[in-house]
Amino acid sequence: MRDFNRVIRYLAYTLELLVLFMLQETPGLLPHIYGVRPVLLLPAVAAIALFEEELPAMAFGIVGGLFCDFGLACPLGFHGAVLAALCFFVSIQSRAFLQVNLVTAILTGVWTIAVVVGAQWLFLYYFSYSMPAYAFTHHYVPKYFYTLLFMPLLYLLNRGLSQAVRAQDHS
Amino acid sequence: MKDFFKASSFRVLVISIVVLLGLVIYTATAGGSFLAGLLGFVSAPMQSIATDVTGNVTEFLDLDSYSKEELKALVGQLQQERSTLTQQLVELEEKRRENEQLKKQLQISQLEPENEMRSATVIGRDPNDVFYGFSIDKGTLAGVSVGDPVITGQGLVGVVSQVYATSSMVTCLLSEDIQVAAVSIDRQESGVVTSNIITASSGLLRLNYLANDTQLEAGDVITTSGAGGTYPANIIIGQVQSVEKSEHDISKYAVVKPYEDLQNVKDVQVIVSFPGKGEEAPSLPVEEAPPSGEEDGE
Repeated sequence: MRDFNRVIRYLAYTLELLVLFMLQETPGLLPHIYGVRPVLLLPAVAAIALFEEELPAMAFGIVGGLFCDFGLACPLGFHGAVLAALCFFVSIQSRAFLQVNLVTAILTGVWTIAVVVGAQWLFLYYFSYSMPAYAFTHHYVPKYFYTLLFMPLLYLLNRGLSQAVRAQDHS
Repeated sequence: MKDFFKASSFRVLVISIVVLLGLVIYTATAGGSFLAGLLGFVSAPMQSIATDVTGNVTEFLDLDSYSKEELKALVGQLQQERSTLTQQLVELEEKRRENEQLKKQLQISQLEPENEMRSATVIGRDPNDVFYGFSIDKGTLAGVSVGDPVITGQGLVGVVSQVYATSSMVTCLLSEDIQVAAVSIDRQESGVVTSNIITASSGLLRLNYLANDTQLEAGDVITTSGAGGTYPANIIIGQVQSVEKSEHDISKYAVVKPYEDLQNVKDVQVIVSFPGKGEEAPSLPVEEAPPSGEEDGE
């Protein structure tokens, strides 16, 4: 029963990432703020990592990262590698050092999304295009804050999902 | 801490990252992978449905009153009319110039076959793309290949940069990666259309490498020149908005406003074949150098 619930939970996470990928890619669905749109997959994988063990957290980081790579048409594996490492450490942090609640989830979102957006700017923009400072202030920083807005929502969604399946597990 | 690094889960993390970095290197050098093709095959139909649904809902919300519908119809009609007239202007100017050339060179006649095109719909726009690239619902199965120009009725919008079985990625004309050989049909002055992050965020382009004494002025129409065989000739790019001095040298550049709203394109045409595709620009005949005595004024 426990394994069955785990499979159901993992399927739900996968479906969630797929739906969020669709939502973030669909033109005209999420409004532009300061010319940018949010990357929903980043807070989603960070929120999943808060509730899962290291290896499943890392696996969902890879899945979310590969979706990001595919959508951006950048070398496949870049976001996968970054999010794999981040989700791994978020999982350890949440199990060993932090009590998981809304505040710690937002704090986790603050640093994880900053790392990913910073890595995007450094590896995908800085070495390839001109005017990196302008890009950072006018694209990456607004995108960071816009993406961060979804962290509480996705934390609550994944907490509900995790609790619902685990409750069945215990009963 | 030692135990942490020896833990099996940490080893799995290291192995996973090494594999993913290998994948990065492979896709960066090989330009695609089976995994990317598989993701494209799975996500393209779902993205297409999501885009259709969003489009219908947006249209419904936009047209909730009669006056808006009237206005929308009017705007659509005017845009189409403007597009037709601009295209006619380009064709007319081209014909006039061609006629003059033919009068001078009686032996030359030119017959250009039609460009072969595929209609496609924009199904995705990634929020991580700084330069407004997008994905379309046509891929190799429809004959699309990397490097194919992408246009709309209003002009050039981009070029196919990655192609999968049922979808493709298009690099927008606003990207710094794209350089298009362009010409002003009014003045016959040529340059290279590029963009950067600042112009891209305003939806504008730059026509670089103009002479210091350029005759270009606001309102002049810019089209592709066809040089290099990457893009067909005479595709509209936009209209000159202003002419400015270059920041780096004595040349000038023109700020070009595309007729198409490149940040919100919805339906496009992919030119899969056109006359002169892939051909380099013909090399100009080299004039004989004058004898050294003449050169020195002897």
